Amino acid sequence: MAIKPVKKPTAGSVLRIERSSIHDGQGLRTVIFLKGCPLNCAWCSTPESKNNSPEKGYAAEQCRGCGRCVDSCPCGAIYFETGSRQVRTDPAKCSICFHCVKICPAGAIKKYGSTLTVPEVMRQVTTDEVFYFHSGGGVTLSGGEPLNQAAFSAEVLKECKALGINTAMESCFYSDYKNIEMILPWLDTLYVDLKHLDSVVHEEWIGSDNRLILDNIIKADRGPGPLAIVVRVPLVPGFNDSDQNLLSTLRFCMKLNRLKEIEILPYHRLGSETYVHLGLDYSCRDLKPPTAELLLERVSFMKRQGSGIDISAGSGFTSG
Amino acid sequence: MPETVREFKPAGPEPAYMERINRLKKRVLETRPEMDLENARILTRGFIESEGEPLVLRKAKAFYKQCAEKSVAVLDDELIVGCPGSKIRGGILCADSCWSVLDRELDTISSRSYDPFYLQPADREAFLNEVKPYWKGRSNYEQWLARIPDETRILRDSGVVYIDRKAVRGFGETTAGYRWLINEGVEGITAAVKKRRAELDIARPGDYEKDCYLQALLIAAGGIIKLAERYAKEAELLASTEPDMQRKKELETIAETCRRVPARPARSFREALQALYFYQVAIFMEQNAASYNPGRMDQYLWPYYRADLEAGRITAEEAQELLDCLWVKFSEPCLFQDAGTAEFAAGYPMFQNVCVGGVDETGRDAVNDLSYMILQATMEVRLYQPSLSVRYSMAKNPNSFLRKVVELISLGTGFPAFHNDDQGIMMLMNKGIPLREAYDWNPCGCVETNLEGRLRQYTALADINLGSMVEFALTDGKSRKHGRQVSRQTGDPAFFTGFEDFLQAVKDQVAHAVRAVVIGSHVIDEISMDRPCPALSLTFKECIDRALDYSRGGAKYNVGNGIILIGVADLVNSIAAVRHLVFDTGQVSMERLLAALNDNFEGHEDIEKLCREAPKYGNGETLADQVAGEMFTFIADEIEKYSSKFGAMTPGILPVSGNTPFGLEIGALPSGRRAWQPLADVVSPSGGTDLSGPSAVLKSVAHLPHSRYVQGTLLNMKVEPAMLNTENGITRLMALLKSMCSLGVYHVQFNVIDQETLIRAQENPEQYKGLLVRVAGYTAYFSELGKNVQDEIIGRTVQQGNPVG
Repeated sequence: MAIKPVKKPTAGSVLRIERSSIHDGQGLRTVIFLKGCPLNCAWCSTPESKNNSPEKGYAAEQCRGCGRCVDSCPCGAIYFETGSRQVRTDPAKCSICFHCVKICPAGAIKKYGSTLTVPEVMRQVTTDEVFYFHSGGGVTLSGGEPLNQAAFSAEVLKECKALGINTAMESCFYSDYKNIEMILPWLDTLYVDLKHLDSVVHEEWIGSDNRLILDNIIKADRGPGPLAIVVRVPLVPGFNDSDQNLLSTLRFCMKLNRLKEIEILPYHRLGSETYVHLGLDYSCRDLKPPTAELLLERVSFMKRQGSGIDISAGSGFTSG
Repeated sequence: MPETVREFKPAGPEPAYMERINRLKKRVLETRPEMDLENARILTRGFIESEGEPLVLRKAKAFYKQCAEKSVAVLDDELIVGCPGSKIRGGILCADSCWSVLDRELDTISSRSYDPFYLQPADREAFLNEVKPYWKGRSNYEQWLARIPDETRILRDSGVVYIDRKAVRGFGETTAGYRWLINEGVEGITAAVKKRRAELDIARPGDYEKDCYLQALLIAAGGIIKLAERYAKEAELLASTEPDMQRKKELETIAETCRRVPARPARSFREALQALYFYQVAIFMEQNAASYNPGRMDQYLWPYYRADLEAGRITAEEAQELLDCLWVKFSEPCLFQDAGTAEFAAGYPMFQNVCVGGVDETGRDAVNDLSYMILQATMEVRLYQPSLSVRYSMAKNPNSFLRKVVELISLGTGFPAFHNDDQGIMMLMNKGIPLREAYDWNPCGCVETNLEGRLRQYTALADINLGSMVEFALTDGKSRKHGRQVSRQTGDPAFFTGFEDFLQAVKDQVAHAVRAVVIGSHVIDEISMDRPCPALSLTFKECIDRALDYSRGGAKYNVGNGIILIGVADLVNSIAAVRHLVFDTGQVSMERLLAALNDNFEGHEDIEKLCREAPKYGNGETLADQVAGEMFTFIADEIEKYSSKFGAMTPGILPVSGNTPFGLEIGALPSGRRAWQPLADVVSPSGGTDLSGPSAVLKSVAHLPHSRYVQGTLLNMKVEPAMLNTENGITRLMALLKSMCSLGVYHVQFNVIDQETLIRAQENPEQYKGLLVRVAGYTAYFSELGKNVQDEIIGRTVQQGNPVG
């Protein structure tokens, strides 16, 4: 009997998998946060998702200063900061083996991300089938940016559809359209960010202009399949909350055939500590989240424009 | 018989009757619990008067005397009346069962840390001069203390089992035949007793005993009627001098109601409620105990409510007011228990379990208007009683009912206890009750299962400390705390050659503890034969047919006593950790693990970390979940192996607060739990180890064979306000509950993590170490977040749809 060649399962870089999420799509969902993002939003709440590969962070406030990591690092990359019981890692020496994460008794050294194969992801996804069934939930790919790992993402979504599991993806849509084409056949709902309609402002704040994003949205909207589109606006005071930008957003959305609704999500600072743990600067330190009143006022402003589009203040998160 | 479903408006102006309810509530909340010796004094005098007569007659006569002589008061604003003692928040001493527990606590009961009762000097005198001298040497508790078998005693005295509960109070843990009482009245029941008595011929052997018994039932029945008459008279007296015309009319109605019921069949919703409560008072007066469960009130009261509505005798609002008044009454009595027992179930827990929903006797949807109104009563009154339960039949009950349940959950009172109806029915069948009757089951006490007017059992006779089982398997049967051999020797762990040896040692320890409890249970059953309860037995039809008291097995169905397991997650996580660390991966040798446990992990922080990070129950992880499935199948097998004279012994997992005192007896465990800390709560994961959200918790918990634990399994879950304060959240919680039913989990109740909790946790991080919150897409320990992020989460808890959990 001929032995079939075994196909090595596709693997992806996964930040984490959140079960019974109620924020990223319909019903109770399993959200797969992938690592790697092409944009660079200053307010990003998930800075640990920006890099493609697993990385480590250090929570100085949890560190007991026991020095176990210093003593046992196989690369000798960890050392005490002069005059303190806090530790530092020399990135030039560190081989990212995560030995320090394993042995830290205080849990002060953290690992962000791991490499998982499609079957490994599906094992976790299928655990909650009964919850999807009763709630109309399913699986949401999020990030990071799922399109950065389009082949992996497409395979996960395809397997979900084969099992009758509803699929959604949160994306910034800053990607080559061929990646999007790989995904679309298996996608029920697309959550796509529209951060700013002015290309110049977009580039100024995020590092890339928005033309590729807008084109991709239009293409996907005209493409095949029963896709529904939800446009998400991360409301960042001073950046995109002006009447003018919100009106431009509405005008753009009115062009879409498959638009289900627009969700306005308040900027939040829950990720600010992660910046510190990663040794990064949080440039939005002084940026205040919108008040509930402002959020509701902006939503009703958009509703008043009478475009006939459903607009809501979302409860979801935006990572960028 | 399902009828129209009435939707309640969720918000709106408070109904006018709430003024009365709030005044009634205030009186309860502002009254300090006190010992109430009146009941014990009359009982004692009654027994002195009847020396030489058969025990059951003496008990019945003393009960009659209590009804005839106790103080009777109709208080301001009341519409439903009755009180088992002389004080509205009185703790009653059941002198014939256990006078001596008060004797031990005379100087401390007013100020003890769990459930203090103020003891008036006059009551203290009465106890010392009247009660104690008579009962010394005659109580059930003294019999128990003298007869505890050695095998049981050593485990009892070392905190491995708790088995005194039923010796320090009366029966309880039952659902009397309220339906029969309300429908037929005491006089109807009396007629049945007389008919049965007429069949006897005391020349026949055995019939004299039966005759005495039936006579006792008649005396008890007379007592209940007498009690109601006295309330009628009191209401008439008050009405005659009442200047307020409206109150005067209310008092006249009370008088008329008490003249009618419970003596004769109820004719209206109000009469049915009053009949129910008089009987509730009566059985509590007869024996102080927790868990006299009114059961399926939405079923047996529905015909009265519907008839009143149709005849235009009552409005929905008036009926709601009466229900609310009854709800306040349920919260008045306080369970008196000794200090030790109170530690295992703190909060004066009367556990009067009222149930709504489920299916009817034909297996069809049983939800009706009253089901909603009963939920509404708890939403409006918000006191600690009655314990409100829901039987939810996923196949049969409507979504509107489930939604009302979720709305009540969202108030954060901890009510209702949510039960999966199919599992409850299976539990009853596993107790040997045919499906036809199992359809009519009701939750009892916490989560135990019962059957109105037909079933006798102690649902929670004894608790077994599962932490000890692991400890003993690793110490060859010695207690770390007491430093002595307490249990059987199951081998020096240094010589275990594989995981199977260790697992076998745990199982052998469990088997030993179960056997010791069964032996003790038999002794308590024997002692309880002399604990007659004629007032309770009166509504168990078969007690009349057989002329045999409830205490002696007169009920239609009798099952073996409940054996309760405490420390589920500690057992599972410890076994999983030993398997993972010592045998599967070899990361830690048995010697090093034992040394670490012996030193309470001091100086072994590396091993502590490995123990804490080993697979944990509550995350849907295969290793831990398999251990849960295997161990709890084994434990159910082991318990069912034994029978008492009443039937197979029955397992359950429902500690009230026993995990704290049991934890004080246990040293460090391989789960990573440090010595003397509380054990995990019921079937819930250990605090702070469920890092994967509610679906993972339910998936793990579903590995227990729930329906075999016929005394119920109790799951506590925390819920994020985001689940509750948005429209989507409510429907998602409904979906979560349906998923739980699909998975075959039996019960859940929710604690809402509110803003106040988070603020307290921010101020006292040490006390809230295990508090988990959802941050942005992940779960974290609240205490480990920085102040800014904590503040943000606290701030967002009040907004709509925010990520706290």
